[in-house]
Amino acid sequence: MSRSSQNRRNKKGGTKASKRRSWLIIGLVFGLIFTGCAVTSVLVGRQVLDAIFQREAITENAAALTWAADSADLTVAVSPVMAPILAQRVDAFNSLSQRTTDGQTMQVVLTELAPEKMVETSLGQPPFQALVPDSSLWLNQIDQRWAADHPADSGGIAPRRVGDPTRFAISPIVLAAWEDTARSLGWPDAPVGWAEIQRKAISDPNFKWNHPNTQHATGLLATLAEFYAGAGLTRGLTAEIANQQSVLDYVRDVEATVRFYGEGEDVIVQRLDEEGRDFLDAFVAQEQTVIRWNESHGSRDRLIALYPKEGTLWTDHPLALLELGEPGETAVTDNQRRTFAAFGEFLLSSESQGAFLAAGYRPADVGIDLSASGSPFAGTDAVDPSQPKTTLQIPSAQVVEVVQNVWYYTKRPTNVYLVVDTSGSMAGEKMDRTRTALQSFVSQIQGDRDKVGIVEFGSGVKRFEPLRTLNDGGRNQMLDVIAGMEADGYTALLDAVWQAQDDLQTVADGEAINAIVVMTDGQENDSYRDMADLRRSFEDSRTPVVVFTIAFGNDADDDLLEELARIGGGQFRRADETDIEELYRILSTYF
Amino acid sequence: MNRTRLIFISIIAVAVLIVAGSLIWRSATGTPVDAGLTVERPETVTVRVIVALPVEPWVRDAAERFNAANKQVEGSQVQVEIIAMDGLTALGRWDRNDFGALPADTTPDQISEAQQAELADFPTAWIPDSRYLVELANASYKERLGRDVFLTDGQYRARPIAISLFTWGIYASRADVLQEALGEISWETIHQAATTAGGWPALGGDSAWGFFKLAVPDPSKNVGGLAAMIAAAGEYYGRTDISVEDVTDPEFQQWLGELMGAVTNISGGSAYTAEDFALFGYSVGDGGQLLESDLLQNMQGVLTRWEDPLVIRYPEFVTWFDFPFTVWVGPETSALEKNAALEFQRYLLSEDEQAAALASGLRPANPDVAVTASDDSLFVKWADQGVQQVVPRTTAMRSPNRDVLLALLRWYELNVTK
Repeated sequence: MSRSSQNRRNKKGGTKASKRRSWLIIGLVFGLIFTGCAVTSVLVGRQVLDAIFQREAITENAAALTWAADSADLTVAVSPVMAPILAQRVDAFNSLSQRTTDGQTMQVVLTELAPEKMVETSLGQPPFQALVPDSSLWLNQIDQRWAADHPADSGGIAPRRVGDPTRFAISPIVLAAWEDTARSLGWPDAPVGWAEIQRKAISDPNFKWNHPNTQHATGLLATLAEFYAGAGLTRGLTAEIANQQSVLDYVRDVEATVRFYGEGEDVIVQRLDEEGRDFLDAFVAQEQTVIRWNESHGSRDRLIALYPKEGTLWTDHPLALLELGEPGETAVTDNQRRTFAAFGEFLLSSESQGAFLAAGYRPADVGIDLSASGSPFAGTDAVDPSQPKTTLQIPSAQVVEVVQNVWYYTKRPTNVYLVVDTSGSMAGEKMDRTRTALQSFVSQIQGDRDKVGIVEFGSGVKRFEPLRTLNDGGRNQMLDVIAGMEADGYTALLDAVWQAQDDLQTVADGEAINAIVVMTDGQENDSYRDMADLRRSFEDSRTPVVVFTIAFGNDADDDLLEELARIGGGQFRRADETDIEELYRILSTYF
Repeated sequence: MNRTRLIFISIIAVAVLIVAGSLIWRSATGTPVDAGLTVERPETVTVRVIVALPVEPWVRDAAERFNAANKQVEGSQVQVEIIAMDGLTALGRWDRNDFGALPADTTPDQISEAQQAELADFPTAWIPDSRYLVELANASYKERLGRDVFLTDGQYRARPIAISLFTWGIYASRADVLQEALGEISWETIHQAATTAGGWPALGGDSAWGFFKLAVPDPSKNVGGLAAMIAAAGEYYGRTDISVEDVTDPEFQQWLGELMGAVTNISGGSAYTAEDFALFGYSVGDGGQLLESDLLQNMQGVLTRWEDPLVIRYPEFVTWFDFPFTVWVGPETSALEKNAALEFQRYLLSEDEQAAALASGLRPANPDVAVTASDDSLFVKWADQGVQQVVPRTTAMRSPNRDVLLALLRWYELNVTK
């Protein structure tokens, strides 16, 4: 081998070794880079996965009510009686577009709810963060029941569900009576009390009065007053006293004179507007209702506010924030707290306080003189800003609950027929919603003396379920009947109503509220009877029957249903798939 | 491959390794990935102050003035946020650790980012109604953490920002009849009025007034309700130091039960009883022992709405509220936040703000400010109604211990609210 070839070979071998080393280094470097990238990818990827899993957890939880962590939207549940004026204030507040420190727009949304329903809802996972019941006593019920469910450790300070409230407008509860009725009771020369009204109702069969059911402060107060009068007390009512037979008998006698219960004073005012003063002689309402009525009706048919001499109760409409944030519950955000504070402040502003005064409320700003010129309290004797002089003692939340429960057993019993259209046009979602609504109605009726029957119609009367007491067995049977309803056939509406009316006349239970609730989505097209037959039947009936009619959807015969409600002395309402259940629930409060 | 390339590639490799190593280290030690390596000085520092209801209107207004003045602490602008809460409710929340104080020996840098975010709402300071509530909260945390969370001495010690005391507030028409029939207003007089079977007519009053109605805040919502019951116990026993044995004595409980039987709205009992006087008038209460500042704030409203003024009478056994400004000293809030809270505390004690407190019926804590220091001092305005600039010789009740408070609360729950 020549030297040159040896050198070439060495050189070639050296180059190869050098190249191998280079590839080794490059491989090592790329290996390190790869490892580094892999580690980074794993770490970053884990964070991404964490984020995904977190999102999934929120999605899984979507059924529970939730809102963004920086949400400044505040949903406020409000009692029906305060809803109209508060809605105007909410609009005014929202139009200001106030912002939180982090730039979120403060917005308030109202949702209308009966006070008792607010209590139930607030103890679960409510779809609202704040509430305005008609009285503070409901807030106390929430706190008491919350404390009972969440006892403090070793007898410590009990947790509260409700924050410190703000009052912006108040009104005392009064007996609203037509001027001549008020004079016949002794006004203005002598003080009038619950006892006078109760005596009058028992002694005069023509005297018609009403109070809302105990889901509202006005109804609760009227009921408490009956219990006090029955016990011969004005304070110190206990659960034992409320359950005494003599007290229960007294309350039952008084309740037998109540024409009907219902949703509250706003509906009473509507009925008075429609039917005139013959509808009722007196009813329990806020003082504000008297002012509002007199302002819109002049001096011809004037209402007088009678402040019960034994004492009354105030509706104080507290605005309170719920302390949400239990495990599994979305907490109230800082921004929602800011919206709450700003809204509370807005309600106490001079503009809002003026609006409440103009609406007949006593504003919370005590610097406002109620008797000053221009005030709705000035220049009238229908209301008296120096009243009431005393209040009835409101017992503890537990005694109040006993009174509410006992009331169901003393109130006037009810015989109600649900006349239900299950013709072919009801097929699908309408039928599903109707079943749910009827089931809700049957569940709401709680008195052990209340009876419910069902008349299901299509091509003629398809099923007639006579009145049945709603004890556990009766309730379950009714729920089964409702669950078995199927849509088919024509619309024999009048025959169905006829059958319900006929049975109520046969039963002839004069002590009870007798009622028919009729629902249809279409036109009458298959009955043997006609409207003239029904009209005669109602005119000739010895047992008064009240008829509520519901037009379900846009194809119902409104004229016929309105006429039916008129001859039955009841109400006509419209509903669709979205609110049929709520409407049946509301109607259940009439019984 | 030449050397330059090798060096270049090596530098990249080392950089990647450093980044990866750093990530691994942070992940292993739990250090948040995006934690900064420099000390941050925020532009704005927020001071969250829980404030007792009687001083809340004044402190909230003061906070607005303070915020508008753009005060700075260590280069950061201070913003004060007010959270209104009754002292007893706040004590309950401290007791249950609702605000989320960290366990002993844990600092914010040892917890996750999410947990740190939750601490963002932690209160920086607390102004309860009375110093004894601070002592009770401290006792609770001492048990849990082994240390005080509110200090009684040093830079961060609790300092009163205003004072007030419990006095009798009674409608003038009712006070005249009561004094005529039963003598000077005291718990014993009120007890007799409460238990008079025939109500006001039997005492010589108007039949329209019904029974005598006692105004007492609901003790579960307002520490003033508890203070009133303790003052009643003081007068009943004729001494200032009340024990659990005293408040659980059956005879005392019967006496107290008869007294509480004159409360009109047991179910909707309010935290704001003096405001109730103005809003609902004599219909909910003829009189009661309430905080002087609350009564003074509502005197004008009572007169405007009901045309029957309140009169103020000073009891023999007096309960004082001193509204101590108390800074949380735990690691949940930063030193900057604590110092910003102190800045607000100094602002509240300034002569101008102390004079502003007079308009809320509060007595200044700053001894340089007299109760007559401002033109709108309520102590001057309502002198004719019985308010006195110098409290007459009385005996101050001693602060009750936790067991006495809980025993009274329990009694109220079992005998009044149930």
